[in-house]
Amino acid sequence: MSPWVYALFGTAFGFVLSRSGAADYDMIEGMFLFDRFQLYGILATAVALMAPGLWWLKRHGRTAFGQPLSLRPKPRHPGNVVGGFLFGIGWAITGMCPGPVLVNLGEGKVYALGALAGVLVGTALFGALYERLQQPLRLPALRVGTGDG
Amino acid sequence: MLILHHLTAMHWAVAGALLAAITWLLLWLTNQRLGISTGFENLCSLVVSTPYLRRGEITGSHGWRLPFLGGLVLGGLLSAWLAGGWAPIWDLGRFDTAIGWGPAGKLAWMFVGGLFIGVGTRMAGGCTSGHGIFGLSNLEPASWISTLSFMSGGILTANLIYRVALAS
Repeated sequence: MSPWVYALFGTAFGFVLSRSGAADYDMIEGMFLFDRFQLYGILATAVALMAPGLWWLKRHGRTAFGQPLSLRPKPRHPGNVVGGFLFGIGWAITGMCPGPVLVNLGEGKVYALGALAGVLVGTALFGALYERLQQPLRLPALRVGTGDG
Repeated sequence: MLILHHLTAMHWAVAGALLAAITWLLLWLTNQRLGISTGFENLCSLVVSTPYLRRGEITGSHGWRLPFLGGLVLGGLLSAWLAGGWAPIWDLGRFDTAIGWGPAGKLAWMFVGGLFIGVGTRMAGGCTSGHGIFGLSNLEPASWISTLSFMSGGILTANLIYRVALAS
């Protein structure tokens, strides 16, 4: 499929993140401080609608163009807990999860440049440490990686 | 109210339905599982070459992940532009009121937070999109565990910052 199709998907997704508060520092802190329901409502609605949609699509087993659906569940290992917790710390510090880092940047929020630099350095750092973390965290063999997100 | 042009946020049910629709269409039309944080590996792999970043899952997904990431930036830009014009923004809402650091401090604060996001999402194997929206919907144990973990980390950290360290 043309890269433009994916760019369009990303643009639509980013626009909704921007206008919904998912890329807004106050909304994110408000979620974590239990002051605002907004983000809980968004995630709950998305999952409540996506779950039956996904169930149907898996039963159907094919994409719109007749390809077999390729879906591998993400691997489960202790990194889910440790990494998840670390990511949560970062999300609360910045008020951004990975998508909104880019959305904030597009909106013109200059400080998102700091977050983007941190995410890229952190990602590269994890890659460099992978072999050392593999055993203690029981991460999958490198061929597979830790799945995508 | 959003920091961006003081816009009123879209209703959560509308936003959730739209995100679900985009995620579903991405799978149905292009056979791709939504996931954003992995795209940062694709970006890194353009300049850094470690075995982890050279694995097939990354080198084989540049074609969709990189344009999708670019689209996210464009979506933010379009949102700002349509709402009243694009301009550089330094406002950080609650952070300005409670902590009040200037540009250099904000960039440093964000960089440190970004490090946690980068290491954490890679270690957990996903973020709010891949684990949160997609994995939860697909009832994957790894995603439920990861989502509970990152929500816990966030709740603890935000409360430590705003209710403990800055409690007056």
